[in-house]
Formats: sequence, C-alpha cells, structure tokens
Amino acid sequence: MADLRLEHLSKRIGGHSVTHDVSLSVPDGAFCVFVGPSGCGKSTLLRLIAGLEEASAGRILVGGRDVTQVPAWDRDLAMVFQSYALYPHMTVRDNIAFALRSARRPEPEVAAKVAEAARILQLDSLLDRKPAQLSGGQRQRVAIGRAIVKQPKLFLFDEPLSNLDAELRVHMRLELARLHRQLGTTIVYVTHDQVEAMTLATQIVVLRDGRVEQVGSPLQLYDAPDNLFVAGFIGSPKMNLLAATRQGDRLVLPGCGGQSVPLPPLAALPAEGVPLHLGLRPQAISATGAQSLDLVIEVVEHLGSETLVHARAPGSAELVTALVTGGRTLSPGQPFTAGFGTAALYLFDPTGQRLR
Amino acid sequence: MTNRRENAILAAPLVLFLLAILGFPTVLALVYGVSDTSFQTLTSPEFSGLANFRQVLADPTFWQAAWFSLRFGAITAVLQCALGLALAVYLAPLVRLHGWTVAILIIPMIVAPAMMGLMYRLVLHEFAGPLPHYLYQWLGWSPAFLSPAHVFKTVVVAETLQWTPFAFLLFLTAYQSIPEDLREAAAVDGTRPWRRFWTIELPLMLPTVWVALFIRFIDGFRVFDNIYTLVGAGPGGSTTSMSIYIYETFLRRGEIGKAMAAAILLFVTAFLALALAQRLTRKAAR
Ligand SMILES: Nc1ncnc2c1ncn2[C@@H]1O[C@H](COP(=O)(O)OP(=O)(O)O)[C@@H](O)[C@H]1O
Ligand SMILES: [Mg+2]
Repeated sequence: MADLRLEHLSKRIGGHSVTHDVSLSVPDGAFCVFVGPSGCGKSTLLRLIAGLEEASAGRILVGGRDVTQVPAWDRDLAMVFQSYALYPHMTVRDNIAFALRSARRPEPEVAAKVAEAARILQLDSLLDRKPAQLSGGQRQRVAIGRAIVKQPKLFLFDEPLSNLDAELRVHMRLELARLHRQLGTTIVYVTHDQVEAMTLATQIVVLRDGRVEQVGSPLQLYDAPDNLFVAGFIGSPKMNLLAATRQGDRLVLPGCGGQSVPLPPLAALPAEGVPLHLGLRPQAISATGAQSLDLVIEVVEHLGSETLVHARAPGSAELVTALVTGGRTLSPGQPFTAGFGTAALYLFDPTGQRLR
Repeated sequence: MTNRRENAILAAPLVLFLLAILGFPTVLALVYGVSDTSFQTLTSPEFSGLANFRQVLADPTFWQAAWFSLRFGAITAVLQCALGLALAVYLAPLVRLHGWTVAILIIPMIVAPAMMGLMYRLVLHEFAGPLPHYLYQWLGWSPAFLSPAHVFKTVVVAETLQWTPFAFLLFLTAYQSIPEDLREAAAVDGTRPWRRFWTIELPLMLPTVWVALFIRFIDGFRVFDNIYTLVGAGPGGSTTSMSIYIYETFLRRGEIGKAMAAAILLFVTAFLALALAQRLTRKAAR
C-alpha cells in the first residue's frame, strides 16, 4: 500500500503531446478514477504509472519512492488490462500464480495465496481451466485475481468493465467496491464512463486532451464544477448549458426566446454583452421554483417514478432537459414551466471557466 | 457423422486430381520396385518380388546414406531453428521499424540450392577458392573445407546459412503475432525480459517451433542439389544422402529396380514420420 504522486508529468508521442504537465496526489488507500472522453490520454497516463511508457518529463512517486526511471518489473504494481491479457497457454491457477512465481516465492506460499484469491473471487471451480474456456466475466475475475495475489503497492485498472454486458458491469462494479474496502489498497482506475467514476471513486480526476481539468470527490465535482467541461461531463442526464448574456442584474437567454433569469450570486460581475454559458442541472428543475422559464414539451421519457422532459421555448433553438418526479400526465405539446432557484445556476465565462 | 461424409465429398476432387497427377509415376515406381529392371528392359520389367528391397536393405551404402541423411536433417534443422529463433526475437524491434530489412534477410532463400552448391565449390576450392586463399594469406592456415575430415561440417554450414532465413521468417511471424499486452502484463507482473521469453513468448511460439523443425528436418533429410553440386557423393561416399544414393543407383549404376525400392522405402519412412509428428502436435495442442 502506498500513495501516488505525479509531478509535472508529460508524454509526447511523435511530437504530439498526449499527457500535458499532469500534477496529482493520490492519498494512500484512495480509489482514484481517471475519467474523460475516449482519446483524452487516460490509458497513457496509467501506462506511464505502470512503467509501460517512458515519461518525457516529470516525476512519478509511489510511496515516496521516485520510480520514473524504474522498469515496469521493478515497480511492484499490478495492472488489469482492458483486454484482460490472460496468458492463453496457462491454466487459471498458473495465471494467478504467475507474479508470485516470477518473484520466486516458495511454492507452498504460492498455493496458499492462489487459494485465497480464488476464494475471494469465487474462482475455486475454474482453477484448472484455460482462459479460452471462460466467459467474459470469469476472465475478468481471473485478471483481478492475478493482480491481487501479489499484494502490490498500487492497483491499476484500465477500463476493466467495458467488455462486459450491462448487467454484469453493474455487478462487477459492486464487487470492485467491495474488494477495495476489503483490501484497502490504493487503486487507480481508468474509465470513460462517468457513472462508473461517480459510483466507485473516492477521488475523481477529470482529463481532457491530456490535461487535468479538475480533481475532487464525486460530490465536489457534481456540486462545484470548475469549468464547462467538467460541468457537462459529470452528472447524468447532462447539465443543461444555455447561451446567456448579462443585462443589468439579469441574464438574457437568446436560445430560450429572450427570456431572462436573475444573476446567481457572484463575486465579480462579467462585462455586459459578453457571451456566457449558463448551467442548470436537469435534477434542479421542478414545477415549482422561485424562477422559471416558459417552455413547450417536445419529448417525454417516462422512467416510472421520474420523468425526463425535453422542452424548448417556442421557435427557439435550445432544448432544456428536466428530470421531474412524478410527471405521469406530461405529454408532448403541453406547456411546461421549468422552475428552479438561482442557487442552482452555474455561470461560465467565454473560455469555459466557472464564474463564482 | 454427416460432417465426415461432407469432408469426404469436399476432399474428393483434390484426391482425384492428386491421384491422376501422381498416380502414374507412383504405379510405375511400384512396378519397377518389384521388378528386375535395367535401361535395356525398361519396357518389359520382369517380376522379382521383394528381391530389390532385400538388396537395398543389405547394401551398406544405403545404410550409410540413411545415417547421413538422418544426421544431416536433424543437425541442420536444430541449427536453423535455434539461429532463426534467436534472430527473430533479436531483430523483431528493428523489423517493426523498418519492414524492408526482412527482404535482405531472406535473400539466401531465393537462390537456387544448386547454384549455392556451385558457389561454395568455387569459394571453398582448395587451390583456387578465395576463402582458403585469404585464410592462408592472413593466418597462414586454412582448413581443407572439402576434405573427408571437414566436408560434413561444410555442407551443414552451407545448408544452415541458406535455410535459416526460412525458420527466421516463420518465427518472426509467430513472434509478432503474440499480443503486446501479454508482454506488458508479464512485465507489470514483475518478469524481466529474459524470463518473459521462457515463460510467455517461447511457449506461445512452440507450435511454430515444431512445424519449423519438422519442415527443415524433412527438407534436410531429402537434401540433394546443393550437396551434389558442391562435392557430389563426397570423398568415400561421405556426403551421400538418401536422394544422392537413389540418383546414383538409378543413373550411374542403372539399377532401376533397386533405386525405386530405395525411393519407396524413403517415402514410407517420411510418411510415417509425418503421421507421427502430426499426432504429436495435435496432442501438444490439447
Ligand atoms: N503509440 C501511440 N502513437 C501515437 N499516438 C498515440 C499512441 N498511443 C496513444 N496515442 C494517442 O494519444 C491519445 C491518448 O490515447 P489514450 O491514452 O489511449 O486515450 P484514452 O485511453 O483516454 O482513450 C490519443 O489521441 C491517441 O491517438
Ligand atoms: Mg484507453
């Protein structure tokens, strides 16, 4: 077990910057999730930590030890690959035992640890099979078993659930959370799925184009996004982002037929006429509220106890999504009054930075 | 069951085609094999039962040739596979960056073996050859490459140099087809490159190793042209391979029946070896 520190870490591949000046501190025992859209450099960052890629600049410290120049096999980490990367010519037992045998541990100890891992992951009956004879979920568990036997300083997971079907994914998510509680080892976990990030993480790192956009706990990121990207990425359904400009103490929304709402509490006022972005979570909208926008319903999605409403001001461009409780009688074509409080509004400047 | 019948039906045209092409010479070989035949009596072979086979099996030159072929095939196959494997693993990173380097490495394979034999005959000639000449000039000494003491080593080296690229090519393909993430997983699992080769890469290439060993062994066992153009039957018959033995028996001595009997024995042995190898590889795959 150990903490992880990245200091000004950069990686260039063929003149193109894939990881850009990443600094980050992951405390011991944390479940840290790197999240971001596909191609944002999550895997590259994880591979840098694992030692599978060489850093172009910066330092990596695991448990206080600088491992930047240490080869992968001496870093004492464990990694679960998206493809699982099970050794096809070995049985499940030998796959799990591989790291221990590489470390030349005595055979009785190997057998005991393999049995323990098999018990935790319910693999007992599969130990003598080859990977080709396993289902996707079973392979996944073997890959995790291979990682936990060596009791590494750090677990690295690269999109471990993305090859599983939806049901199994939810199940394995719970299993991973349980495993983390049970082992207490620091985990660095990569996913493009913000739901996975929200449900698993104690610490989320939002990445975009090789840069860290924001670091924080799931609720910190949900409640107080630093910028437009994080606001739009975290939360489901997505936050509504509407064009806005300040006029006096009100915000005019040209995409909503020129209706206006009062300014949220701000330390400094933005200049008048500058194009801003107004954020409003679908969950913050209800039939009642101090403020409101008058819209017409376009699409209704009944989820049972809740209803997802997509509505817009007549003749306007921007669609507003609302998640309302009840709402069984709502139907397209009806007028819809989207109510909310000013405290639920987020304002972003033209570069996407949050105005507070 | 139906699967088997389907297979038989699908394979039938190929089998018929092969029978038509190979059938006539095969029947002829079988007929001559059990007949007393010379060039004078080619059209009227006289049945002689298994006399030819008895004659062949009693001929010490036949056994000498069989022993030569066996040794030559085994030694060259092992050498070529070991060298080819080492080259493939060592050069794989280079080949990945510059694919064209493979073209250079496989040039020896393109040269006709008979030409190769002639070339070595010139290069290694005791009086006229450049290699002994320069060895004498620089070291004041040169082995007699084609003398009875060294000729076996010489032909082994010649064959190995020419056909190692074949093994190299097979192993390179096998090596490159190992998924990169297996190597990476092994590295993160704490395995150094050397151990990674023995525990991951070599086991995954093992089927290819067997195939390469087998192909190179059969090819070495049947060796003819490069040895024949280099040294012929060799001093004291020391480089008489099975193929050379059959050729000489047939054309030099005109003992057609005996040559055919030897050819049939060679074929049957090769066939049995093939069947055995196939069984072994199938067992290993399981
Ligand atoms: N070996 C490579 N050569 C060139 N570009 C690469 C290489 N590996 C990754 N990249 C680029 O780096 C970016 C980040 O890749 P990656 O870390 O795999 O993203 P993610 O895992 O977030 O989807 C991508 O734009 C990808 O094209
Ligand atoms: Mg990735």
